[in-house]
Amino acid sequence: MNILAAVGIEVPFTLPIVDYNAIAPLLILLGAGVVSVLVEAMLPRGSRRFIQLFIVFGALVAALAWIFTITGVRVITAEGAIAIDGPALVMQGAILVLAILGALLMAERSIDPSGDAFAARASALPGSEDEKQFTARGYLQTEVWPLFLFAVSGMVLFVSANDLLLMFVALEVMSLPLYLLAGMARRRRLLSQEAALKYFLLGAFSSAFFIYGVALVYGYAASTQLPAIASVLTAKPGQTSLALIGMALILVGLLFKVAAVPFHQWTPDVYQGAPTAVTGFMAATVKIAAFGALMRVLYVAFGGMRWDWVPMMWIIAILTMLVGSIIAISQSDIKRMLAYSSIAQAGFILVGVIAASPAGLAGALFYLIAYGFTTIGAFAVISMVRDESGEATNLSKWAGLGRKSPFVGSVFALFMLALAGIPLTSGFIGKFSVFAAAIASGDTWLVIVAVVASIIAAFFYVRVIVVMFFTEPGPQTASVEVPSVFTTIALAAGATVTLVLGILPQPVLELVSNADLFIR
Amino acid sequence: MTEVNLGEEIVFWISGGLAVLGALGMILSKKAVHSALWVALTMINLAILYIANSAPFLGMVQVIVYTGAVMMLFLFVLMVVGVDSSDSLIETLKGQRLVSIVLAIGLAILLIAGVGAGLTDVVPVGLEEANGVDGGNVEGIARLLFTDYLIAFEVTSALLITAALGAMVLAHRERWLPRASQAELSRSRFLGAGHPGNLPSSGTYARHNAVDTPALLPDGSPSELSIPGPLVARGDVRPIDHHDVDQIESLGGGTK
Amino acid sequence: MNVYTPILVLGILAFAFAVFSVAAATFTGPKRYNRAKYDAYECGIEPTPQPVGGGRFPVKYYLTAMLFIVFDIEIVFLYPWAVAFDRLAIFGLIEMLVFIITVLVVYAYVWRRRGLEWD
Repeated sequence: MNILAAVGIEVPFTLPIVDYNAIAPLLILLGAGVVSVLVEAMLPRGSRRFIQLFIVFGALVAALAWIFTITGVRVITAEGAIAIDGPALVMQGAILVLAILGALLMAERSIDPSGDAFAARASALPGSEDEKQFTARGYLQTEVWPLFLFAVSGMVLFVSANDLLLMFVALEVMSLPLYLLAGMARRRRLLSQEAALKYFLLGAFSSAFFIYGVALVYGYAASTQLPAIASVLTAKPGQTSLALIGMALILVGLLFKVAAVPFHQWTPDVYQGAPTAVTGFMAATVKIAAFGALMRVLYVAFGGMRWDWVPMMWIIAILTMLVGSIIAISQSDIKRMLAYSSIAQAGFILVGVIAASPAGLAGALFYLIAYGFTTIGAFAVISMVRDESGEATNLSKWAGLGRKSPFVGSVFALFMLALAGIPLTSGFIGKFSVFAAAIASGDTWLVIVAVVASIIAAFFYVRVIVVMFFTEPGPQTASVEVPSVFTTIALAAGATVTLVLGILPQPVLELVSNADLFIR
Repeated sequence: MTEVNLGEEIVFWISGGLAVLGALGMILSKKAVHSALWVALTMINLAILYIANSAPFLGMVQVIVYTGAVMMLFLFVLMVVGVDSSDSLIETLKGQRLVSIVLAIGLAILLIAGVGAGLTDVVPVGLEEANGVDGGNVEGIARLLFTDYLIAFEVTSALLITAALGAMVLAHRERWLPRASQAELSRSRFLGAGHPGNLPSSGTYARHNAVDTPALLPDGSPSELSIPGPLVARGDVRPIDHHDVDQIESLGGGTK
Repeated sequence: MNVYTPILVLGILAFAFAVFSVAAATFTGPKRYNRAKYDAYECGIEPTPQPVGGGRFPVKYYLTAMLFIVFDIEIVFLYPWAVAFDRLAIFGLIEMLVFIITVLVVYAYVWRRRGLEWD
């Protein structure tokens, strides 16, 4: 090969066209993350928390405001790597709003007498002299804020990624900070570190499946862009074995993130071990991000192979709903119970995904938003229920809680009813729209299984209410700490949205149905 | 299809053989660190093969990332976890191992069959055409990186930031007391209960100068000050070989 | 013969020279061993035995490893950029600067928080 001739070509490359207006929310969040790291580097310890909170909330609100200015944008930009369309904007908006609530929970400092929800220094050995000294001196691990911002940017990118490779990078940008945040709890640190390690190892394993699937799909379609894959599928529908295996492996990676059975094993440990504020944030937002990516991959790239993935997704949806609902019954820890509940809820949302119709997409979006607010509210309550050793997550400590603190008990009961799908709550509308869409698409049997699973699930949600209100409070009953304005706002927002979406769902239903479909 | 010339063939047989040797060595060596070094051999030879096959970018990345970064991380993990620690052979869940072996074989068959079937009727385009677009392998990657994958490339920096930040948060031990200055250290050594001068060095008057061999005091007893505390705590202090000591004394004609 | 043949020849020469040097020293050098010669007394410290269980290294090595990897990955991106520098023109330079500065921010963090100090 003549190297000189090759170099001698010297034709400048055609530069990529990026619609910076459409991806501005992502850029705001990433920029804020970098500034936030700089704050950690340059400012003295005492002033960091205040400035970090300013940056975090400023960036989240600015990104959200920007999304409101580009609601009409439907564009594929950055050389086809990013698709900003209706569903993407709805999900980005929902992620940002829920991230604001999550940040409020993480900023709480009044509930725990020794500081916020995070270890004073995550690197100090649990139980060591160092740990005691850091705690006594009121050190705060303010690095959680840049990590939080990167996680949110990853999610915002994940739901709009139109290219499998970019989707993989977004998946990692979203997951890595969450692995870290899960391991930084102030109390029960060994449990928290174990959770982080499990989450990381299993997450890395599922990412490997994802990227292997991307490689195989690239081998089939010679492109990683979702619309290009779809057009190759229509062009040569005969020899799809590579695409089929690749798609299955990609789905493993995505179903891991939505916590669908049999890829759910990490969920209970991580939900239980992670700091409750992080669990709430993660449960609400990762679900949205992962379902967004899952639906985009299934509809845009593999819409032509619908008859190949529907049977597989049927089995997974049924398993997810049943396993989640049944195992949740035997849980004695409220965080573990909500973890299995989140698995079951993922199954219900999958019913809407399988419907593969505009109504199914709208239903799934509505369900995700409703579930996000309810979950974050429920975890806000859990973070407030405490005894002398920290959060009292064992159900026995919740006996009689509703009588001891009627207001907080009632709010938690509202969340439980919403998760169970009782009418006049957002959960009911969510389930109804998803199931209706599935019946319209001819998946009646799936809906019958889903209804049975809902009834099983209702049992353990209602059981919590019974435990709270129909037992006498005893000496072991935990008490409800009075939170600062941060948690109060998050809790109020969660409860209000849960109730309002149950009574007046029309505006949000219109929002999700007007979001159109994913653009190709 | 291009013809394989003699030089390429020689490179293939040498590098390919060494790569297989490294792989075998990795499986067969008993110590984890040795396995890791064998893997490094395999990786380097794979890199040579990539470059010989006109994939210079892949070859370089193989050296930079795999032989450099990944191998080093392997070694560090081994060192942090403990070189000799071995896996427990007890199954936590009964039958877990059998089930996982069956599933792994099943997945392997599925993948091999599926990928094999997918690759049967493929007509290779050839290097000339693939590299011709931009005038070279690395140039082609540069174009893709700065056009189609521009966002992915830039966002990767967020990933790198998270990695370094996470490593700091989890592994960097901060001080809660300011570091003592040399003057303070010196003052505390003289005023406090410390040892004002140098501690006696190990092994004096003994046959060895290793740190685990205590120095001998004039009366022949070992000096506890001459050995580091961690070695004592670990029980790794070497007993004094009196035969050696006597031998040295007889050579020097000195007295005890 | 293609362009890689000289490299192969160079490799063979280097290998042969290394083997020759070691072998020549073994065959030509005098061998008069006694017990004192086996001691490491004046040219090094006698090794202490490894602790039982293999011994574990402090976790702070991990930080060094991680930092190395961060910059290693950065080099991977620098390589194609450097090769196609002229054709990427000013756009490539700007994008690369954005990337490098972003990664340097975390380097500043590590440096300012004393992650590079060893104690």
